[in-house]
Amino acid sequence: MPTTTEQPISNRKGFFTDTTLCIGCKACEVACKQWNQLPDDGMNFTGMSYDNTVSLGASSWRHVAFIERPVALSNQDAGAFSWLFSSDVCKHCARAGCLESCPTGAIVRTEFDSVYVQPDVCNGCGYCIVNCPFGVIDRREDDGRAWKCTLCYDRLKDNATPACAKACPTDSIQFGDLDELRTRAQKRVSDLHENGLPEAYLYGANAKDQPGTEGLNAFFLLLDKPEVYNLPPDPVVPTKRAAESWRSMAFAALGMAAVVVGSVLAERNGVRR
Amino acid sequence: MNDGRNIDSSLGVLSGEGSEQHVSSDRVEGQTQALEVWTGLPEPPGQEPTYYDRPLLKQPVWKWDIPSYYFLGGAAGAALALGAASQFRQPALYLLMKRCHWIGVIASSLGGALLIHDLGRPERFLAMMRVFRPTSPMNMGVWILSSAAPLGVSAAVFGGRRGLLGGYGKSANYGAGLFGVALATYTGVLVSNTAIPVWYQSRRVLPILFGGSGMASAVSILDLFPEDPASSRVRFLCGTAGRITELAAGVAMERQVAKIPQVARPLRTGASGFLWRTAMVLTATSLVISMLPAKGRWKRQYSGAFGILGSVAMRFAVHFAGVRSSRDPRASFQDQRSHQLRHQIT
Repeated sequence: MPTTTEQPISNRKGFFTDTTLCIGCKACEVACKQWNQLPDDGMNFTGMSYDNTVSLGASSWRHVAFIERPVALSNQDAGAFSWLFSSDVCKHCARAGCLESCPTGAIVRTEFDSVYVQPDVCNGCGYCIVNCPFGVIDRREDDGRAWKCTLCYDRLKDNATPACAKACPTDSIQFGDLDELRTRAQKRVSDLHENGLPEAYLYGANAKDQPGTEGLNAFFLLLDKPEVYNLPPDPVVPTKRAAESWRSMAFAALGMAAVVVGSVLAERNGVRR
Repeated sequence: MNDGRNIDSSLGVLSGEGSEQHVSSDRVEGQTQALEVWTGLPEPPGQEPTYYDRPLLKQPVWKWDIPSYYFLGGAAGAALALGAASQFRQPALYLLMKRCHWIGVIASSLGGALLIHDLGRPERFLAMMRVFRPTSPMNMGVWILSSAAPLGVSAAVFGGRRGLLGGYGKSANYGAGLFGVALATYTGVLVSNTAIPVWYQSRRVLPILFGGSGMASAVSILDLFPEDPASSRVRFLCGTAGRITELAAGVAMERQVAKIPQVARPLRTGASGFLWRTAMVLTATSLVISMLPAKGRWKRQYSGAFGILGSVAMRFAVHFAGVRSSRDPRASFQDQRSHQLRHQIT
């Protein structure tokens, strides 16, 4: 009897990207492209270390950043240089700017707490693109719809690990239940601190760390300022502050109503021509 | 067919999450993007770090249609508001009311067409109306526009008639006026509800700037019509209020963003800065001409023409300033750093 046993899945899934373990092999980029069957973005030479992907985009849902720094890490003694790698991805924010600003309801929160764009609904208005404080989601010119990482929604439904995490040879990308990942990440940070890397810290691990997004479902362990990895230091989901502009709009609308009504009424009381 | 996936369709099936992504058929094998090659040091000393100066944010995908819509929507909304108000003094302001209605109807229809044209998938524009979502200013705007425009049509067709239809026209007129003030001002919320520093930091001023500009452009369009002596004072009062609001809000916006110099740069330098200054000068010129003691048709028409040009230039300046701001990672970094100093590592 083909009974699909109801597995007790903890709903909230996410990534913990430990950049200290990343070796810059780009297996995640390749696995993502292959599994999701994404088209290429053309061939580029950028001169930016070994990074020729440049950034996340409509058809690049993982991007490995290569950072060459004229500073050594505290546990290195081979001169003033260190090479940092970080595999960037959609953060699946607890409060997602793209989702909240989407006028069609194409962007939804899935049962795994990830943020998913329904390609059959999206009409390509482009509003999510300007609402992402991380510059993740984008529109491919020839396609016209917004695209980004789905946290391998299709694989999750089959209880499989997302392609990038599965392919990662060093466990730099770890996939799992968010609560467990957070505990593991905290432990990793304290281990690193004990082992002579006091600069290690978590980026976006919870709402306290990053109130503007109320925490990231795909969070990171970093060794330098977020800017170095092209991550915003204190991102705020724009809709969080929308009340301020709605208030201004109410003020402007009332002002306009007062002006038009006032000037018409002034005419009534004014001098007759 | 090589669509950039390198999948032989006789061997593999396209069923992945991204397999639906359309690739234009004219793509060339081995094409390259015109990217500037980084030749400097990875991290130039003495500067705040960035990732090879690559943008943090994605650039808005909006083209010319969206700033044009800001102008048309603003003019339509303010015209409908003025049309509704002129209902209080009929029949003296009948001509003004009719003109306002038709400006409202034509500008909002053109604006709606531009909005659809700008979509990546224009045939799916109705997807906008499958939800009512207060967190999305764009969704709210769609409901405002799709209420204001039909009410404006009803007011234009039935306004001023007698009997039941006339009563309907009258109520539609008031309704169009209410949605009109919202239509003229919500675009300010739409623009500022974004992660783009220069727009986001102007979030308290933009609705007022756009509202004032909408009023100014509605009156400027009316100024181009043949003279209607009965409404000249109403038009003068509304036009002056709109133009002064536009100028004052423009100055306020510059001050607001000036707190972080990097955020203010697009309004001060380059093509967007030039356009912004030009817009202010045009609107100021329109205001001055409208205040001249002289009489005559030229005064009205010049003031109107300068007013329209000023409003259009202002909308485009705000748009291009946002595009430039999105490309500048330092604008976001400095803006966010000024609010917190938590992640001080090295």
